[in-house]
Amino acid sequence: MVAATLAMTLAAPATAHFDSSARYTHSDCRATPENRVDPINVVFTSWGTWGRAANQIEAHAGWTDTSGSAQTFVDHGACYAMHAQRASGAGTRFHIRVRGQHPDDVLGWTATGDAHHEDLVMFPVPCGHAVDSDGAQGSGFDQGRDELERRFAAAGHTTSRAWWGNTHSFKQCDGDYASSDGWTVFIELHQVNH
Amino acid sequence: MRLAVALTVLGSALGLGGASPLDRLQPAQHGFGLQDALAFTEFPLFDAGERVDGLPLTAVLRRDDTADFVSFVYGDCTAADDAGCPPPLEIQVWPACLRNLHLYDSANAEAPVPEPTIVRGVPGAFFEDGLRLELQASRSTIVVFGNSRERVLRAAGALREVGTPAPGTRLPAPVPGAVDGALSC
Repeated sequence: MVAATLAMTLAAPATAHFDSSARYTHSDCRATPENRVDPINVVFTSWGTWGRAANQIEAHAGWTDTSGSAQTFVDHGACYAMHAQRASGAGTRFHIRVRGQHPDDVLGWTATGDAHHEDLVMFPVPCGHAVDSDGAQGSGFDQGRDELERRFAAAGHTTSRAWWGNTHSFKQCDGDYASSDGWTVFIELHQVNH
Repeated sequence: MRLAVALTVLGSALGLGGASPLDRLQPAQHGFGLQDALAFTEFPLFDAGERVDGLPLTAVLRRDDTADFVSFVYGDCTAADDAGCPPPLEIQVWPACLRNLHLYDSANAEAPVPEPTIVRGVPGAFFEDGLRLELQASRSTIVVFGNSRERVLRAAGALREVGTPAPGTRLPAPVPGAVDGALSC
């Protein structure tokens, strides 16, 4: 992973643009409307390679666990496997999957992610991880995004939000539904920070 | 707080045969259900009736936290460990003061690019290659999510104010200020 990260960071971004048209992760490739899984709600920018994103999630949020199911991301119409995932533990936890995306002339290297908080559901029927349905602090998707935003801002990173409106509800294995509130956070990983 | 829904309607609960499409409504989990939607007055609600495009109404959801909407879920899907699933059709109704087409006028280059349209006489826009349609009617913004553009349009054709028997030809026009984000909540 270190070598891949180094290779990406040494290469200059090509002239291109960030593809923000794909706003959900998928369970597999080919990506279809039926196999959407999570809303994308985090974008790492300004040297936001997937390796730097994963490393800094570990450093700033303490999410060092790498367990979880694989998902896929869409970039410029093509479907790709995720690059990494990080979580705050193996049980009830914060969790994010990350995929490095197409570089952008303004944003630089970028990576996208599906931050969320999920419960390990054991009762009444054990089903595994289920993203929190909506509560006073927002859904599990909103809680995961907000947690990363807080942690990175506390470490001096610039953050901002953009309205994406990707609020489609997702049924979870416990029967509840969870949805994003439609806001995506952009977190700069500029080397001035680290 | 999002309040997941709904009712297992009396017919099913009483063992009366389960003929109603509403039999599939999931039990109320947080105290908001179809009866609450019928009594809701904060902003006008729109659904597609008990069944649309072959899909029964299966849940009514309420978010009132960092988002504010009532959602009507049609059809079902099978979620797994660590993998939620999208229902085949969902109609979310938001207050226009909070969600409106003006949000997409932003100079932010990362904002979604709308595909403007007019459906049943009201302004709207497609997003996500037609899998999402946002329409502005009265003081509300109706957001239809579906697994195809055709299904989204069929659902839009069936939209009606909650509790009314059948859709009219036109949806109520947006009130002044609704589309340009000038309404206050």
